[in-house]
Amino acid sequence: MAALMDTRILLRKIKDLRCLTPRRNRVKAKWAGSQPKYPATNLALQNFDATYSLQLGEQWPSVRVSMLCEQKYGALVNNFATTEGVIADLQSQGCRDFVCQPVGVGALERLQAPGFPLHDNPSTLESVGVSQHVAPPRLRTNIKCFVFPGGDISRFKPSRPDLYGMLGYYLMDAASVLPALALDVQEGHSVLDVCAAPGGKTLALLQTQAIRFLCVNDISVSRTYRLQRVLNSYVPKELLTEERMRITSFDGRKWGEIERDTFDRVLVDVPCTTDRHSAMEDENNIFKRARTKERQRLPQLQTELLLAGIEAVRPGGQVLYSTCSLSQLQNEYVVERAMHLAREEHGISLQVVDLRPITRLFKDTFHFAPDPHLGQLVLPHLTANFGPIYMCKLQRLN
Amino acid sequence: MSVQATGRLVLQWTLRNATCPVLNLRTILGSDNVRQRGFMTCRLLCSTHNQTSTLHQHTDLSQLQLQPGRELSIRALLDMGFTDTQADQLLEAATKGRGGQSEHASSTLMALFVLGLNPSSVLKVLEKCPELFYVKGTQLQQRMDNLRRLGLLEGSLQRVVSHYPQILTLPLRRVNTVARFLREKCAFTVQQATDIIRDSPAVVQDNLGQLEYKFQYAYFRMGVKQAEMVKSKLFRVTLEEVRCRHSFLERRGLYQTPDKKGQTLIVNPKLKDILAVTEETYLADIAMATQEEFKVFQKLMAREWQEEDDEQERDMGADSDDDDEKMKMRKI
Repeated sequence: MAALMDTRILLRKIKDLRCLTPRRNRVKAKWAGSQPKYPATNLALQNFDATYSLQLGEQWPSVRVSMLCEQKYGALVNNFATTEGVIADLQSQGCRDFVCQPVGVGALERLQAPGFPLHDNPSTLESVGVSQHVAPPRLRTNIKCFVFPGGDISRFKPSRPDLYGMLGYYLMDAASVLPALALDVQEGHSVLDVCAAPGGKTLALLQTQAIRFLCVNDISVSRTYRLQRVLNSYVPKELLTEERMRITSFDGRKWGEIERDTFDRVLVDVPCTTDRHSAMEDENNIFKRARTKERQRLPQLQTELLLAGIEAVRPGGQVLYSTCSLSQLQNEYVVERAMHLAREEHGISLQVVDLRPITRLFKDTFHFAPDPHLGQLVLPHLTANFGPIYMCKLQRLN
Repeated sequence: MSVQATGRLVLQWTLRNATCPVLNLRTILGSDNVRQRGFMTCRLLCSTHNQTSTLHQHTDLSQLQLQPGRELSIRALLDMGFTDTQADQLLEAATKGRGGQSEHASSTLMALFVLGLNPSSVLKVLEKCPELFYVKGTQLQQRMDNLRRLGLLEGSLQRVVSHYPQILTLPLRRVNTVARFLREKCAFTVQQATDIIRDSPAVVQDNLGQLEYKFQYAYFRMGVKQAEMVKSKLFRVTLEEVRCRHSFLERRGLYQTPDKKGQTLIVNPKLKDILAVTEETYLADIAMATQEEFKVFQKLMAREWQEEDDEQERDMGADSDDDDEKMKMRKI
């Protein structure tokens, strides 16, 4: 047994096993003759330069350099594992929980209330417009996400399983937690996640521990498997029972035909040009010449998905649309088009929910676009290299 | 003429006797004006001897006071035109290193005077680089001649020596290797190579591999031609700085590597404007970014390069494993 443990520890120590494979057995990256003349990343950058320099103006160079540098991660703390040690460990590394401790909150106040009693009363967003307190309002939620402070480029260690085999935290772009926060899930809600894989946002939703029923969908079967694996290593089996959760792989666009007017909250995190990925990596890049058609059809697909989400939500419920692209074509225009179609073809009227309370709360952690006319956009910035994430929240009125 | 010469010899002899125990000089002579008078006499005699040019005066002085093997003394230094404090500083510099004064100290001084430096610059040079005290005067002379042969004319030579005296501590071969390297490996013209050594003499001590990498980085990666490199004083800046400033611009979309025909989609800023300015100017005028951003970027870059290097090393390691395996196979 001891010997077994030893080898396991040893194997964990060796980070990159590649050095143990002799070169002749390694997969070689192709170059020279077979390398495309214009790699997809270049095409992506050209495309971005042409569109975003107009859209973002002076901000664009800063966003560009950030997207081309290493992104920052956030550690989403897993409330289903033993958290005390994990949190203490993260804090000792110099991170802080950006959700409960926005930097803007006075240091004094933070010192006075080290226990954060707010956790006991989860999932109510203080109405910001009404309360006229001097201190900025806080979000009441169970979600905890630790980040290194601005300008600090340290990395997180891979998380370790606790005694019951649950991993302590999930590493993801901290800005991806924002849609889950903005969705504002309340006790007893049923929630639909239309395009869920790889599962970061789903996991964040589950951390609220308020969901009565969660329906998780992704069109790709292999991606749902991955999602399943993620959930299995973070969430105990009791919570993954059929009464509480359903994992499917339908075409999300058909949701209006499957289940109408059902869910309290719907998260529509659509496939997009994934700007950061497209600018950095050639593998699976949507800017490849062969995928041009697919890319051009994206806004159409996104609109249909959002429309399906709007149909799936019950009257009075809320839909959150999010992408990880800066493109207006995939963000604002899609939302406008979907709202138009919902009104014209389905007779559903919608209202845009103001997300400024959220952005005001987290403006010290993230770099938000100054004043978008619809929704909110997180811009990557070297000092806070998260995002890009676009989100827009709609409330169904009838 | 002969009378004067004899007079000088006598004076020299008396002075030598009087000043031999350097530290006791002041206590023995006591009053200041006695010393003053001696100095004046010396100065007077020298100047009457030849009034043609200061350079010659120095030469003459050096011959007079600085026979090789002689110890430096305050008196002798004062006579050479150093002020009181300068002489003290010089003496201190000379005696500080490697246990005691070098026997070449005086010949070093001579060589520097022959070069035409005035006492205050000589002091500066020797304080910057006390190793010069241990180089033979003839060797110094040879090295200076060599620099002249490389194209550093009067004026430039003095400038180089006073800015970077370390160049005189290096053997002839090293300096010539670097000059040849610049001409042959980097295809600079003779004049350009000279200009590089004049503007950034520290290249002579750089690692040639690093130097070549820096050149190739500027040539291939940034698409800069030799003439512009010389103008922008590329070799004064470290490789890290060049790479950092360039990649920052490139990733911001403000610099592009020219294609084979030298064309770019945007107008690149001049290399001179990127490198030969302070960080503040660079950030404000060229990169149009904040200091904060650039600091984070530098940290990120340092880590990226470190990881690249590690990767390469690991690859090399794996290769050697491979070789080991082959060896084993052969044995079997």
